[in-house]
Formats: sequence, structure tokens, C-alpha cells
Amino acid sequence: MRAILLAAAIVSMAFPASAQDKGAGKSTYDKTCALCHATGLAGAPKFGNKADWAPRLKVGAAKLYASALKGTANGMPGKGGNLTLSDGDVKAAVDYLVASVGGAKSAATPVAAAAAKPSPAEAPKVASAAPVAVVAAPVALRAAAAAPGAAATGAADPNAFNRLLAAPGKRNAPPAEDGIHDPANPGTHALQPPLTALGGMPALAAGNRVNWVSSLEGGRITPRWDRDDAGAAAVVMDLNIVREVKGSMPDVVYPHKQHTEWLDCSNCHPQIFIPQKGANQISMASIMLGQKCGVCHGKVAFPVSECRLCHSKKKEGAGPAAAVAGARK
Amino acid sequence: MEKILIPGIRARLAGLVLALAAMAGLVLALPAPALAEYGDVVINNHSDAAGVRPVVFPHWFHRVRFRCKVCHSDLGFKFQAGGNDINMVKIIDGQFCGACHNGAVAWSVENCDLCHSGKANTPTQVHESTIQKLAGPAPAAPATAAKR
Repeated sequence: MRAILLAAAIVSMAFPASAQDKGAGKSTYDKTCALCHATGLAGAPKFGNKADWAPRLKVGAAKLYASALKGTANGMPGKGGNLTLSDGDVKAAVDYLVASVGGAKSAATPVAAAAAKPSPAEAPKVASAAPVAVVAAPVALRAAAAAPGAAATGAADPNAFNRLLAAPGKRNAPPAEDGIHDPANPGTHALQPPLTALGGMPALAAGNRVNWVSSLEGGRITPRWDRDDAGAAAVVMDLNIVREVKGSMPDVVYPHKQHTEWLDCSNCHPQIFIPQKGANQISMASIMLGQKCGVCHGKVAFPVSECRLCHSKKKEGAGPAAAVAGARK
Repeated sequence: MEKILIPGIRARLAGLVLALAAMAGLVLALPAPALAEYGDVVINNHSDAAGVRPVVFPHWFHRVRFRCKVCHSDLGFKFQAGGNDINMVKIIDGQFCGACHNGAVAWSVENCDLCHSGKANTPTQVHESTIQKLAGPAPAAPATAAKR
């Protein structure tokens, strides 16, 4: 086996550089790249499609290689997700793709020439890497492709802090840039950008990045209690319910006051919560699936990431680290 | 020669596995990173079928102006995205959105594109909701996402 590989390596080294390159490029393409680039899956530029490739060819071969090796913000994972490919394999595959649209001479020429002379050390690797296919790739691929934060900054950084967390500059985006509104719709541009309304309100680390409860308490906003009557006052009930919870988390204090500032009794009782002590089974799992508190919290009201806003009462006899009494403000 | 072919076949099989796994990963992982507000509701019960853009309801905008109770108690909106059987006839008749969007409390229904402003094919969802995150991001408009 080794002798055959060695022989293959020697043979491949003996080949004219371009022919060898094309072979390796095609085999890498068939094995890894074709998955997306044959069909244009997920927006990948298609093999042989000049329109897809024209803008890419303009950036030059060096950047194309870098995109293929490190991944792109558009979702391409580094090395197409097949991390056992050598750099030479990947570059050869890029050359092969570029050649498919006749771009080898115009765009990739400077570096293609360099890549066409594989070092003797690289050539055997090219030959021997081919049979080794990778199945471990999806994880890396998922991580690299799924990082919106990284995508926004233009680099698919697999170690991006948290792919679910929008970077500070990307929060409260105006409608035309928020990914849900259609920028081609004239009305989209007439809508109020969130920051103009939320900008001066008390901050919270999650959700709309706004503390709605203190905004209301502090008079920063004056939402109507009645559709027509601007003077109608909320029917507020000031009653705290303490729920002892299992495990080490502080107990939950449920304040009727802050809820009745916004809601009517009938919004929660009796459908969501039976108004009787001990009658309601609540778990974080059900909340995260949109039940109980999760009917609002995790959709509109502050999300479950803000644990201590609810779990705010130190357990009897618990250590000093357990409670954050001031968390509610 | 045969010895070289066999690993080739293995590579192809493994490649197939990779392909399937990667496609599953891509389907889950590739939607556009939407940056819409927490609580923005996309309602696409009938819009796509009717050839208009889906509705985007901005919760934050309405929270500044009304307490939850006004819509969710007085007007009868259920706490569920897409769970309310809303149509333009009802709205013009003064139900649901039409209770305010009547030219008296808020601007009226001729401003179609202020509500019907979402990207086509965006599914009904509450943006950035815990469920959306747990289930994987909802695929944003495929046509436009593919161009990104």
C-alpha cells in the first residue's frame, strides 16, 4: 500500500505541474466542494457559472484562496468543512473552480502560477490525502457557518463569543437592515427605527435591550391602559407570590404589581395560571417551550437569560452568594 | 490499481455521509442573521398565498404606546404568533388591528405596505424568541437568503 502511494506520489510529481494540479483540484472538488458548488446550495457560486463567479474573480486569487481556506461570512466553512484537506488541495480546487468559468488566466494567474509548483513535501500529501475522507466535518461546518456575529464582522471565527448574541453595533437595527423587513418595500423605510424610540430608555442586557418595567415606572413611557381613554389608570394589585424552587437557585418572587401595570387579570388567570397556591406546575423547560411564564417571557417580556430578575429571593440558610436582592431594578 | 480504487469508494461513501450531514447542518445553520427587534412578530398565515408581503408586527413600537392588556384582553389577541384568525375583512370591520388602525386611533388600512413589509416567504414567528432559538433560527426568506 505504502509502496503504491509512494509510487503514486512519484508519478504525480513527475507529471507536468498543471496536469497534476487539475487532477487534485478535480478530486478535491468532487469530494468536498461539489456538495454546494455543483448546485449553488446556500448561495455558493456554481461550478461553471460565469455570472456567479464574475464578482468573485475580481477580488483576486489571493482572497479567493483565503475564503476557501478560512471560510466566508456567507456561510462557507473553512476548507469547505473538510479540515483534513491540505492547503494545496484547497487551492487546487479553487483553481479548478475558477478554471471552470475560464477565469484561470484573468484572475487566478498570479497565485495559480505559484500554486502550480507544489513543493516536493506537498505533493505526496496531495496524493495520500485523497483517500482519507472526513466525517468529523459537520461540527466544524455548523460552528463556522452558524456564526451570525462573525458573519457580520466579515470573518467566520469559530471561536466567536456567542453565535446567538448580536454584536452591540447590530442591535436595534433599523427596519430596512433587520433581515425580516423587505428593503424593497417602500413602506419599510417609513417605519420608525427602534433606536429612536428605545435609545433613551433604561437599559437591560437582553431582549429589546430596554428595561420596560423601569421605563414605565419612571414615566419614560406612558402607554395607554385603554385604547381610547388616555387618562385611564391601570388596576394594579400589589401582591408578591414566592415560589420555592428546587436546587440551588434562589426562590422566585413573582410580583403582581409589575404584571398588573401591563396586564389584565384575565390575561393569565385562569387559563395560564390557576389562581390557587400549589396548583401550578412550572418548570424552566416548560417556560422555554413557551408555556406558563414563557407565554410572554422569552417572546416579548425579558427572556430567560435574565435568571435573577425572577430568581431573586435568597433561600433560608443559603450562602451569601445566593441572592441578588437588587436584581429587580 | 484495485487497492487505490477501494479507498476511493470508501472516500465516496464517507463523502456521501458528509454531504448528508452537511446539508442537514446547512439547512439549520444558514439562514440570514436577522437583526430584528426582540418580539417582532412575523405573521404569514395568508400573505404568501395572497401574493402580498407577510406582516411584521413590532411589539416594541406598540408597547411604547399601549399596555399589553389593550390588545391581549380588550381586543382579543391570543398570545400566539399566527394563532389569531385575522384577515383584512375583519380589520376593515374594526376587529383585531382594525380596532385602532381605522384612521381614528392610528392610521388606517390603506397603508398596506406599512404592515405588509416582511420579506416574502418568511415564516410566521416571534423573532428572537426562546423557542425560535431552541428550534434553530427560522429560515429567513430563502430567495434573498440565497443571494447573500
